[in-house]
Amino acid sequence: MRATPKVDEFTLDIIQSNLIAAAEESFVAFGRTSKSPVIYEVLDYAAGLTDAKGRLVAQANGVPGFLGTLDMATQDCIGKFGEGGFDPGDICITNVPYTSGTHLNDVTLVMPVFVKKRLVAFSTIKGHWSELGGMHFGSWTSDSTEIYQEGMIFPPIKLFERGKQNGAMVEMIRANVRTPTMTLGDMEAHAAALRVGARRIDEFCNKYGVDVVFSAIERIMRNGERLARLRLRNLPHGRFTAEDTVDDDGITDTPVPVKAEVTITDEEFTIDLRGSGKQAKGSINSPWCATVSAARTILKAVTDPHGPSNDGNFRILNVLASDGTIFKPIPPAPTSTYWESMAFVTDLVWKALAPHMPEKLSAGHFLSVCATIVGGIDDRTKEPFAIVEPQAGGWGGADGKDGESGLVCSGDGETYIMSNEVIEVRHPILVEQYSLNTEDGCGKGQFRGGFGLVKDYRINNSNATFTASFGRSLYPCWGMNGGGKGTPNYFEIYEGSQSKKVRKVAAEQLAKGDLIRLKTGGGGGFGDPFKREPARVLADVIDGYISVDRAREDYRVVINPRMEVDAQATQSLRKTRPTS
Amino acid sequence: MTVRAAIDVGGTFTDLCALDERSGEFLFVKDSTTPSDYAKGVINVVRKSGLRGEQIDRFIGTGSTMVINALTEMKGAKTVLVTTKGFRDVLEIQRSNRTDLYNFRYAKPKPFIPRRLRYEVDERVDSTGMELRPLSKDDVLAVADACRREGAESVAVAFYNAYSNPSHELQCRDILRERLGNLPITMSHELSREWREYERTNTAVMNAFVQPRVQKYLTSLEDEMKRLGVRIRMHVMQSNGGVSTFEQGMKTPIYQVESGPIGGVIGALTVGKAIGTGNIITLDVGGTTAKTSLIDEGNFKINTEYNIGRTQFSSGYPVKVPVVDIVEIGAGGGSISWVDDLGALRVGPVSAGAEPGPACYGKGGTEPTITDAFVLTGVLDPDYFLGGEIRLEPELAKKAFEKLAEKLKISAMEVATGAIRIATANMVNAMKLVSVRRGYDPRAFSIVAFGGGGPMFATTLARELGVKRVIVPRVPGVFSAWGMLMTDLRHDYIQTKVVKFNEETLRDLMAIVDNLSAEAYDRLAQEGTKKEDVRFEVVFDVRYAGQEHTVPTRVVIGGPDKKMLGEIARRFARLHNKQYTFTLGDPLEVVNVHVTAFGRVKKGRMVEWKPGEKGRATSSRKVYTERGRAIVRVLDRDSLRAGARVRGPAVIEEPTSTTILRSGETLRVDRFGNLLVEV
Repeated sequence: MRATPKVDEFTLDIIQSNLIAAAEESFVAFGRTSKSPVIYEVLDYAAGLTDAKGRLVAQANGVPGFLGTLDMATQDCIGKFGEGGFDPGDICITNVPYTSGTHLNDVTLVMPVFVKKRLVAFSTIKGHWSELGGMHFGSWTSDSTEIYQEGMIFPPIKLFERGKQNGAMVEMIRANVRTPTMTLGDMEAHAAALRVGARRIDEFCNKYGVDVVFSAIERIMRNGERLARLRLRNLPHGRFTAEDTVDDDGITDTPVPVKAEVTITDEEFTIDLRGSGKQAKGSINSPWCATVSAARTILKAVTDPHGPSNDGNFRILNVLASDGTIFKPIPPAPTSTYWESMAFVTDLVWKALAPHMPEKLSAGHFLSVCATIVGGIDDRTKEPFAIVEPQAGGWGGADGKDGESGLVCSGDGETYIMSNEVIEVRHPILVEQYSLNTEDGCGKGQFRGGFGLVKDYRINNSNATFTASFGRSLYPCWGMNGGGKGTPNYFEIYEGSQSKKVRKVAAEQLAKGDLIRLKTGGGGGFGDPFKREPARVLADVIDGYISVDRAREDYRVVINPRMEVDAQATQSLRKTRPTS
Repeated sequence: MTVRAAIDVGGTFTDLCALDERSGEFLFVKDSTTPSDYAKGVINVVRKSGLRGEQIDRFIGTGSTMVINALTEMKGAKTVLVTTKGFRDVLEIQRSNRTDLYNFRYAKPKPFIPRRLRYEVDERVDSTGMELRPLSKDDVLAVADACRREGAESVAVAFYNAYSNPSHELQCRDILRERLGNLPITMSHELSREWREYERTNTAVMNAFVQPRVQKYLTSLEDEMKRLGVRIRMHVMQSNGGVSTFEQGMKTPIYQVESGPIGGVIGALTVGKAIGTGNIITLDVGGTTAKTSLIDEGNFKINTEYNIGRTQFSSGYPVKVPVVDIVEIGAGGGSISWVDDLGALRVGPVSAGAEPGPACYGKGGTEPTITDAFVLTGVLDPDYFLGGEIRLEPELAKKAFEKLAEKLKISAMEVATGAIRIATANMVNAMKLVSVRRGYDPRAFSIVAFGGGGPMFATTLARELGVKRVIVPRVPGVFSAWGMLMTDLRHDYIQTKVVKFNEETLRDLMAIVDNLSAEAYDRLAQEGTKKEDVRFEVVFDVRYAGQEHTVPTRVVIGGPDKKMLGEIARRFARLHNKQYTFTLGDPLEVVNVHVTAFGRVKKGRMVEWKPGEKGRATSSRKVYTERGRAIVRVLDRDSLRAGARVRGPAVIEEPTSTTILRSGETLRVDRFGNLLVEV
């Protein structure tokens, strides 16, 4: 074939879509074969490919918070074994928070892909393993003070060497986790998914030739960088700052201040987090890798939300944090509810920039993963059960649209909330309610926030333990351009005749008949609520999102008993105070 | 003379394809689709065909376009949802995923029923089907009042856990019916007996949303056809590859949702049978999209995770109905080429459609399409498009590509060949998705190519995939309609029943198979099928204990339990390994029992090919490819007799399509008139 350089452009495209497809195929295979609901139902994992140096080349959809860490985990493995330290059939395992991880449950497997004896790429998947030992069922917890309480640590180790499983490792895992069948089943599925992706890489390398693929990979990253720089030039330049507060340090009620200073120039997008609080006593610390990942998420959102992601996109990003702070903790800091601070990296930049780019960013959202674990030994089967899941909440209103109700947080993405009918078959739990949290409401505004959710779990088993961490419980999310604040995340536990309203709990023992009521918050509002079109307010009343009283109070819209807007009364009411 | 007739109601045109069984003569009539009253357009083409009602001894219609349009435009009946207390927001909460990861202004798909029309009633069954709280009759009566007050046109009843016990849905329907008379009511369990409340509820809601329209369409079509003298029981295509009667089609219109492109798959299966091959990859290239599916040893695949409107950036609407597994991509004759921000050439998914159409149509289109690329490169004869019905203007095609050529700093011809290459690569990926990605080696398959554009791409695609043979059936442009004539009645029943797989549970599962089969017998009998014409296929959805997802595993019924058990386990392990590269020693679980019932109906057979008298003479013209320019022979398909052989390179023309034969390839015409190309 006589290939002109321009025809190579077409080949480049074709190879790029093949690389993305290889990552996607791995992604699908993991979900399809996994044994834990957090993988197969929630899809709490992410898959990507890096080049031989560990630089991100392509990614599948998944959890954005994980996607931003895949390259760092791969580089960690390369750092340990050296570029020449891999053989075909090797698979490394790693989960160390301080170098390349998030919390210990999030395990990364990294597989070198060889074609004709040449190392072409690494196939990498990071996924949440439901149980890895530690002080409580489900491993991650809100009451740890040291990493050692949060499960097993895997420094980069070869789990497979030349295709042969490291039996000693497997025995160690089996002996240290509470659900060996589920955990090891996930390990098998996790490794197999990497092989599925590698199969495809092998196929197209053979077709196009390894050298062509190598140069295509270089071009993909170069193009990613070009595009990022192009978009950077169109962003508003200058210095933007935002501050906020994390509810507590995980152990005491002491709040943790967080701060970001964003500087945008033609050359660089800098996020300086150095004004933020010290490393926390409890497990809310965001490891460096998670911090960078959260920064990448917002960078992508403001530069190129729809383009494919690769290393090139992130070369304009510069993140600064000091050692020993909440955004760059040092060992042995606990990190198992790391999202409670990690999410603020995305959110602070978002808050600083939103007024300058309302076409891309909404008002603040409920923010926290609001993760929960309900586990125990099922009376029916005598086997362990564990349901580990995030909860969805309200997103912010934006210029021209109301916020979304019941959507996963910014750290999560192609992440599914469990089907309740599936929960009831798999676990001794009855779901008694799954509805919009209209009671607590949302941020009012010309375009209001979306609503959070209410979910009731009734324990239908002699025993169960419950762990949860709901951030943004004391400091609800922000409104924008005059819109109101959102509402808090929290949950209620009804044990017998006792009940309590809390934001965090660790391994709480529950009994049959006890009820957990999970309530997530509404998003912030956009714009002056008194400017909200009366027709929209009326529709909200008819749909039962807000009451007639709230319509009058929050929006100054008067609705008569025939369920019509009283235009005259509304007008005069709005005249008395033209803005909220 | 008796004929079999199929109607394909498309977005722009309504086609009628009729086949005289004895002579093998085709009749093909086209007229405008009439969206305000689809039945009118159908009657128009029937009238235009000159057929008399009593001549028609089989009639198959489609409701696909109507259903899809109602759903994508969200224009349907004012629908009320009745659901379990505590769950009225399920439709709005959905699964809460953010498919568009980095879009911080993402909008979820809007629910089909606003909150004000979603009502809760007190009732509850658990996951094993046990009643926890009885259905509150008062609550249902209150909903009935609300339906009247609101002027509801359709009702969906979807209760939590109804897949495990539908009795409350049935009770609710009875109470509502008593109060509301003939108001259409859809119950979720009628459509799906699988778990997952959002997916099942949404399916019921979508069915209810389109039901009144489809009911009106099929009723008025039936009346009109009777008036034209049609005596037979008429059928409507379903998405699962079968047909149902009009009566059933009115109750479960959502089953018609994706029935449009399925005729081609059935047609390919029929052609394959006639020439002795059961391993086929179909390629259907139309104006806007390319569609492909895989037939494995005479069986097509059914997808039970269908979704309307899902894209890379939207989660779409899940619909739990069995749909023939067809992968569709935005690459067709009308797909527009463009240059992105980084200066890379792209093709589709935007299409120039029928209006204004490709630039070369001269109807005002200025964007360069794939059809323009084929005209520019000389593959298409501007004077013989649709048999000369439309004269194409190569100059306009060239002008359209010149805009891109300037941006890319290469020649218009290079852009055109590049566009064809990119469209081809997109199709290769789609075809790999249905083959290689599911563990099938395309080298063991033949491609059956149809749609106006299929035969133009087929041989190139075959080379890319290692496929050895391409089959181009007669009249590729209307092959889908022809295929519809070859369908049986078909009903699918899927029941969720999660059990460990052993001899004891096998007996329980077989009891479910018996129940579902009995239900299918009844339905087929009502549709006029005799018992001896009924055939069943059974599939268990199997997994390793602890997994969630399943591998559909065929069940051959008969023999001792132990033997059946072993066979199913072995088949499952083989499939799991093929798809996921590993097997486990763990015990197995069954999740769903899937029974498919076929009711044989009178169908056509393939007829021997008699070449036309007035085939045009052989000519030749210049054709460009990415490898350069060549003078290529042009043959008229109508002049090729059975047994004729052609050596490539050559272009074979016919009114509805053009086949490209590359150098090194040879073509043979079989006795049915199919072109068989050895690649």
